[in-house]
Amino acid sequence: VKTFLAQPPDRFRAIARRALADARMQEATDAATFRLHQGRLDAWQALPRVEELRERAHAIRMETVENLDRYVEEFAAAAQSAGARVHRAATAEDACAYVADVCRRRGARLVAKAKSMLSEEIRLNEALAAVGVEAVECDLGEYVMQLAGEHPAHILAPALEKTAVEIATLFSRAGNAVEPELEALADEARRRLRGVFEAADVGVTGANFAVAETGSICLVTNEGNGGLVTALPPVHVALVGIERVVPKLADLAVLLQLLARSATGQPLSSYTRLLTGPRRDREDDGPEELHVVIIDNGRTNLRAGRYKEMLACIRCGACLNVCPVYRKAGGNSYGPVYSGPMGAVLVPLLVGLEHAPSLPHASSLCGACTAACPVKIPLHELLLDLRRDLVGGGAASRLERIAFQLWALAWSGPRLYRASTTAARLLQPLASLAGPGRRWAADRTLPRLGRRYRDRADMR
Amino acid sequence: VPSVQLFATCLGDLVAPEAVADAADLLRTAGFDVEFPDRQVCCGQPAFNAGHHAAACRVARTFVRAFDRVTPIVCPSGSCATMISRYLPELVGTAEFDIWELSAFLDHHGAELPPRNAGRRLAYHDSCHMLRELRISDAPRRLLERTGAELVPLPRPDLCCGFGGTFSVRQPELSVAMADEKLGGARGADALVTADPGCLIHLAGRARHTGDAVRVVHLATALAQGVQT
Repeated sequence: VKTFLAQPPDRFRAIARRALADARMQEATDAATFRLHQGRLDAWQALPRVEELRERAHAIRMETVENLDRYVEEFAAAAQSAGARVHRAATAEDACAYVADVCRRRGARLVAKAKSMLSEEIRLNEALAAVGVEAVECDLGEYVMQLAGEHPAHILAPALEKTAVEIATLFSRAGNAVEPELEALADEARRRLRGVFEAADVGVTGANFAVAETGSICLVTNEGNGGLVTALPPVHVALVGIERVVPKLADLAVLLQLLARSATGQPLSSYTRLLTGPRRDREDDGPEELHVVIIDNGRTNLRAGRYKEMLACIRCGACLNVCPVYRKAGGNSYGPVYSGPMGAVLVPLLVGLEHAPSLPHASSLCGACTAACPVKIPLHELLLDLRRDLVGGGAASRLERIAFQLWALAWSGPRLYRASTTAARLLQPLASLAGPGRRWAADRTLPRLGRRYRDRADMR
Repeated sequence: VPSVQLFATCLGDLVAPEAVADAADLLRTAGFDVEFPDRQVCCGQPAFNAGHHAAACRVARTFVRAFDRVTPIVCPSGSCATMISRYLPELVGTAEFDIWELSAFLDHHGAELPPRNAGRRLAYHDSCHMLRELRISDAPRRLLERTGAELVPLPRPDLCCGFGGTFSVRQPELSVAMADEKLGGARGADALVTADPGCLIHLAGRARHTGDAVRVVHLATALAQGVQT
């Protein structure tokens, strides 16, 4: 898993360059992120006292993070009382092995999966395929990406880079020919996925929230796949990251007011489900068996110091849509699962900074993410902290470290500053030959070092 | 006569000295005695944003040694003003300074400006830290309007121009793509005005490289000289 999420130093830049060269993808990403961004702005504007609500949401999330062990225990106990089988998984491997075991015990061959970033993070589909179980993505965007053999490019609009023509080609290759029109594509997806819902032996979902008070799983979806996946198959497995816990239903109400508004601009998503325990005797639908897999997979690492703020994330995607770097670099530049500013913070924390050293630098630190975060995570400041820790942990190159040390020496006082900038002025014809100057000068004219302001006769 | 301490900033001193001179003129015209503490160097931001805190701290101390805390400090850069107000005191372990970004200071003191930009259509680019950390967005626009300029709105005024300090050389392709979009949005204006030397050298350097006709001007220059056509 570490190697799966890991991001080698030059990968971000290489993939971003490819994305920049793809005019069609630029257009698609720009249109989708702008629509979602505008939706959030309008929804926030229509909300009375949105700042107060964000403060409350932040307080709820941080109080939960501070007492995470207790709330996770509470949730596990309540879920168990409601009839769920609860498994605590420390790692992705552990979680996948448990789900595979559930499938084996039930003789399952087909798994219907609702949209879940955590299932991507633990690579559940691959783990199930290895034991002969086919997992089919039932969220339309995820289904498209699965057909394409690609990873989701956006937390909540996984296929936002794909056009109708591309999707029609993917659909046609995997079955009947389909016209590249939205309605025809949706109808065809519905027809195919209905079959999966009906035939599936196991339904797998994530959890937007897990309520400690009641042991309930909360699922927020727009396409209804979350409903069918949890209603039709005889077994439901819910994957719950430890930080998805909220203490009480009243807290959930606060967070739900912000989640859909920040994600898509909707007051509420089309379907917001609260699932407590498996099917009871008098109920018509729901699973016979409910398994709740509570997954850590590196999250405990985040609980030290300021980085715990990242555990407050509710995965709305607002920071992606507002990010000037994401909208040009595209989701896959950040790696296979989490992207944009939240990914640039979260991935290095999950896998270790040395395994994703370019991500904290995949930002101009403009701070738009922080301003857009409904739960007020100071994302750009966490990126700054990660950069500091990169240098402190020895992950910055020797050359870079020496360069900054020399710079600091040269600018440690006014006399040395004068001498060094005079030298720089004399050497400026060479500036574009190597190092940062060369990188700058490839696409921009270098600024000219002339007479310094401090040397002007009319200064005073 | 009340005094201010002028902080030129390193980029201002080295690559935008005209803008600093214009800032000094504006402050004098507004009735202030402008002191230039001659031991000033830089606030340390380039290293701080790159994660090199020891280097940043060493350079930031030059600022602490050069400026006093009694007289207001004014600088023609939103991002340096952010560094000094938000990060420097904690980095160095020192008390806060009375630091002002130029346009916020002039606007606060109701500076009067002659109509040097009458008939000019100007686009104002919000630099990120000034907009989101200092929350200064009306002051520069008000001042430009006071000089008679008609403001041309940019399509996405909230978007970063792509400079971002070391980001501009770590991710040069993304950096210039962001600049191109910002420049493209200013086509209908006589000039693109920014209050940060960082945005200025990046946007102007890109425009010059591609032969883009958009002129990029520092706010201090636009206010003190007017935009020439």
